[in-house]
Amino acid sequence: MGLIDDRYDKNVFITSLDFLFNWARRSSLWWLQFGLACCAIEMISASMGRFDLAERFGMLYRASPRQADLMIIAGTVTKKMAPVVRTLYDQMGEPKWVLSMGSCANVGGPYDTYAVVQGVDQVIPVDIYVPGCPPTPEALYYGILELQNKVIKYETMARKQGVDAAERMRLAEREAAMAAVHG
Amino acid sequence: MSAATNRPGVDQRSVEVDFPVDDFGGAGEALGTMTISDEVALGENQRLMTLNMGPQHPSTHGVLRVLLKLDGEVITDCDPVIGYLHRGTEKLGESHRYAQLIPWTDRTDYVAAPMNNLGCVLAIEKLVDVTSPERAQYWRVIMSELARIASHLVWLGTHALDIGALSMSLYCFRERELIMDIFETFCGARLTTNMMEIGGFSRPIPDILPGMVRDFCNVFPSRQQEYVDVLSANPIWIARTKGIGIISPEAAISYSLTGACLRGSGINYDIRKAMPYLVYDRLDFEVPLGTHGDTFDRYLVRMEEMRQARKIILQCLDQCEKMDTPLMAYESPYVIPPHKGTMTTAEDMQRHFIWVIKGFNPPVGEAYAAVEHPKGENGYYFVSDGDAMPYRWRIRSPDFVNLGVLPHLAQGAMLADVVALIGTIDIVLGSVDR
Amino acid sequence: MTDPTTPAVVAAEHSLAALAADPWARELYFADDVELHPGLRELRAAMPDSIVDVVRFRDETTIHVRREDFREVCGFLRDHPQVAFNFLTDETAVDMLHLRESPRFDVVALLYSLSNRVRLRIKAGCDDGDAVPSLVPLWNGANWLEREAYDMFGIIFAGHPNLRRILLADDWDEGHPLRKDYPLRGWRPFPVFNTDRPVGRVRTRWTGRENV
Repeated sequence: MGLIDDRYDKNVFITSLDFLFNWARRSSLWWLQFGLACCAIEMISASMGRFDLAERFGMLYRASPRQADLMIIAGTVTKKMAPVVRTLYDQMGEPKWVLSMGSCANVGGPYDTYAVVQGVDQVIPVDIYVPGCPPTPEALYYGILELQNKVIKYETMARKQGVDAAERMRLAEREAAMAAVHG
Repeated sequence: MSAATNRPGVDQRSVEVDFPVDDFGGAGEALGTMTISDEVALGENQRLMTLNMGPQHPSTHGVLRVLLKLDGEVITDCDPVIGYLHRGTEKLGESHRYAQLIPWTDRTDYVAAPMNNLGCVLAIEKLVDVTSPERAQYWRVIMSELARIASHLVWLGTHALDIGALSMSLYCFRERELIMDIFETFCGARLTTNMMEIGGFSRPIPDILPGMVRDFCNVFPSRQQEYVDVLSANPIWIARTKGIGIISPEAAISYSLTGACLRGSGINYDIRKAMPYLVYDRLDFEVPLGTHGDTFDRYLVRMEEMRQARKIILQCLDQCEKMDTPLMAYESPYVIPPHKGTMTTAEDMQRHFIWVIKGFNPPVGEAYAAVEHPKGENGYYFVSDGDAMPYRWRIRSPDFVNLGVLPHLAQGAMLADVVALIGTIDIVLGSVDR
Repeated sequence: MTDPTTPAVVAAEHSLAALAADPWARELYFADDVELHPGLRELRAAMPDSIVDVVRFRDETTIHVRREDFREVCGFLRDHPQVAFNFLTDETAVDMLHLRESPRFDVVALLYSLSNRVRLRIKAGCDDGDAVPSLVPLWNGANWLEREAYDMFGIIFAGHPNLRRILLADDWDEGHPLRKDYPLRGWRPFPVFNTDRPVGRVRTRWTGRENV
């Protein structure tokens, strides 16, 4: 797990918990069960027997946004659907991640029309884009693995009190340590 | 005419949201999170409750939203709200050439994409008067019947999942993966195949493909027997489906239902028999009909359709193996020139260039062609003004018309049966909203 | 004088023979002479003034009727005992803006006869704002199809119980998208949401490994 290896490199307590939390989060990304279009069928295929996305990566689909960490936008986001997608995103608890699956969700895909939002990143912030029309389950795997790499690289303890507070705290600790050393 | 659709909208409570709904391009409906209830006082002790289901409810098979008015647990009124996946496919078709339309048909009903391709190319072929070669017709039948099985497997898995049999979806997707492998071997894509072309197939049939199809046909009956073992005598399944969602034959005709919804009520209308296209008039198969018109009958009809589809595939394979003829009607000016010719001869290369850059100009007229889609009659209606792009492209999707019967079915049903009713109509929202 | 052995003449004679044998024979619906079509024949006898035009293309017959008689014609064909076009397959519209002066729209009903296994297309021209008689009293299935035609083309159906938008949002105010003067990408650009993250993210200071 690497907790002991690097314990003297850095701020022991905060960073280790960060790693521990992120490691746990990365390994149990529960996603919001919510399909929009064609890609949803591939998402379901990926979670079924042959590809087994759910069991391999500790993932589980939840019907309620309150219980979900990850939102897979699987399909075309239309102008009628966009407010609903936004509401669902707002209802998810922090930390939350968004994976945009397929060309339609990425950039509008083949539907450059009056009814379609040209990319879900005009509605909610997106972390990972998976190309394809629709992406195969293997492509979705790759996106999930990239997302896992991303999840582990962010601080989570800092978010408890906000970013600014964390930065202030870090500076104060640094001042105190410097004072202790220089006497 | 149900009372549900007579009313100008079911009242609903608006939800406070932190983004500008009013400035938003037309989509003002910010509902659709979880259950939103709204109590309407009727009288002294009576209360109706309005319940919002969807559009992200897992049992609505996509982005269908249903507004229900409840008296206790009994539904008094039902208003399906669709359009959350309306992508403007018909409008897109008016600015693209005929051969470019076929990829969009994949994405209307995405669980049976080859079937949509077939309807579209049949309509175009009728418009320009091209007939595909016999061998291509047999392969078209094989691919579309495989798509029928794949679509029914998705239907069975999700329908049973909604009613409470989770394991069925695992079983059904196991067999569906075999069909996806066949599609992937043939055209490289699993779901959106873009398989059929005007005049036949321009891709060759891989040598291993007939063997794969045959292997699938060999294993499928025993696998289907597993579904029957799980469901057909299961008391929970019977209690949830028998006598639920009864459609009378008169109502089925009046609501313009097609597919298993119509045949489950005992009306014998299958386009493959009534107006045979491709080589269906030479094949030996039967059309299953229901007697009671309830959810269980439609389940039996679709199960039997899968058996008949396997029978059709085997007959076509026997015919195909005797033939070594081309797969494309290359002699017609409306089809793409042979790939080998475009690489070697100047005429074919020029023709190919013109075909790709400018398209072809069909005669002025209108054509409608329909195929028996797993869900019903899937028709494509073209109005041509002689231009390389269709003047009007109309997709008559079975799901859209079939879903119109939901208010009629839901009236007086119990709340828990709504998912069974949505499942038994067998909708795909991409095809409903287009 | 045409050669009596050409296929067309033979087919025409065959059709006439079929007419003599059975006035309701199925092949008459596909005869080269469109006037032999039993549905058209009966309609001409019953409502001669309603028919505006008759078109045959491939094996499909299209009857243009007057807008006011749209429902009567469909009802007549539905209730006729032999012709019996009792199934409404599709109802939609076509914007004829670039093809003719007036009327602007064609409302198209595609009927099907379950007993004879033939299709028939009925068209009624209407201008913007004209009310077309609704087919909902005849077939419930016309309900959603007419709502879609209203949504996409803005055609008003008189007698429809619930004429409101179906595919687009209820408060869509940008017109009717399948009209020919409507641009493919719509009139207005999409108002982009605020896509800043609700809670900011900080990259971890833990730099021990890059690829975990």
